[in-house]
Amino acid sequence: MFPKRLDHARPFVTLSVILLAWIFLPLGAKVFTRASFFEIQAPLVVADSFVRDLQDFWSNKTRSKEELLKAGREVAGLVAQYEYATQQNAQLQAEILRLENMLNLPPMPAFRLEPARVARRDFSAWWQRLIIRKGENYNLTVGAPVVFAGGVVGRITEVHRYTAVVDLVTSPTLRLAATVEGDTRPVSYQGGLNSSFSAPRGTVDFVPLDIAATASAPKRLVTSGMGVFPPGLTIGEITSLELSPDGLFRNGEVRLDRRLGTLTEVTVLIPLNPDE
Amino acid sequence: MRRTDPRWLIVSLANFLLWWLTGLLNHHIAGLAVHVYLGGLLVAYGALRLDPRSGFTATVLTALFVDSLEPVPFGTSLFLFTLIHGVVLYGRHRFPREGTVFALVVALLANLFLVIALSFLLVGAGPRPSSAWLRIFADLFVSQLAIVCVGPWFIALQDRTMELAKIHPETGRPVAR
Repeated sequence: MFPKRLDHARPFVTLSVILLAWIFLPLGAKVFTRASFFEIQAPLVVADSFVRDLQDFWSNKTRSKEELLKAGREVAGLVAQYEYATQQNAQLQAEILRLENMLNLPPMPAFRLEPARVARRDFSAWWQRLIIRKGENYNLTVGAPVVFAGGVVGRITEVHRYTAVVDLVTSPTLRLAATVEGDTRPVSYQGGLNSSFSAPRGTVDFVPLDIAATASAPKRLVTSGMGVFPPGLTIGEITSLELSPDGLFRNGEVRLDRRLGTLTEVTVLIPLNPDE
Repeated sequence: MRRTDPRWLIVSLANFLLWWLTGLLNHHIAGLAVHVYLGGLLVAYGALRLDPRSGFTATVLTALFVDSLEPVPFGTSLFLFTLIHGVVLYGRHRFPREGTVFALVVALLANLFLVIALSFLLVGAGPRPSSAWLRIFADLFVSQLAIVCVGPWFIALQDRTMELAKIHPETGRPVAR
């Protein structure tokens, strides 16, 4: 028993014991605990996204035949466009292969496309993350790039049994090597300017002095191909540039796609040859 | 026969429910660039009403749940939550801790501390910490408002569950309904 005088200090003794036990707990045990606690909650996180899908399904069932016919016609038009684009893509791929063989270039990295539903969005000032409904069961890997119709979404940071966590391009923890469209010199992109009730923004550093961009004449920022992302994917638009403190480069702001805040479906690019 | 003591389980499950509902809310308001954090509310009941052992067990379990979902070093919430728990436990006998209003005040202060502590830990990673603080204060304002709205319900939920289980939160003795 504690003497009465020290009795009130008991909470802090307990706190110290817990913290000491935590500090000396082996790393493997911590990793196991974290994974276990995540997996315990994962079914609930995923379940509510399945319920939302079911809600969407039933709300779509209430639509009239006219609406469905109209939607069907629009989809048929889109399919025709995409079929044409697929043919063009095949021609371009053949041309790339021909040039690679002719010039003895190393092959471009190849990816398997894995579409995934978004189970949970978690966007704070500290981090910007998505939990998607695919994980180890679809052979997703840590570091795999994630894209959507508007360009880059982010990168996978954690892979669990049936889910994976994506660090968004808007997150302050994500940095990318990028290029300004039409230029080959690499610049550095970082997310993290996420003001309340406004579109997400990022920052760009080490922009060459001869490149200019304004809000009225923005420049498209695309992935450079260095790192995990294939080249040419849209990151955002550079809307302002100013001279860096050392005067050697320019720094600026990048306007990102507003749709990143309401994503429901993304595509994970899984490298076919991860060693390359 | 010895009766099992479900108090830590009741509080942990209630906390888990609140955390899940907060996650749902954040999912739907993500497009507005607003984030609600209710960590303070998760500690308040366990620290004010439960006995030290059950309270600490519930707080540790809750903190581990929170830690597993957040991209912070594993143990960050464990440290912060148990620290708040210890401080509240140390001073709780001096205050009218049975009242909902006092529990709400504790939850608000705890949440303020948690948001500021987490921000100091994490905001340095961003490209412009000064603009990140504006967003943090906006989120904090919304979170405190959410605690004021949700807090009385959440505390009552735990009280009623204890009543249903016919158990006194602090002593663990059976109580007649």
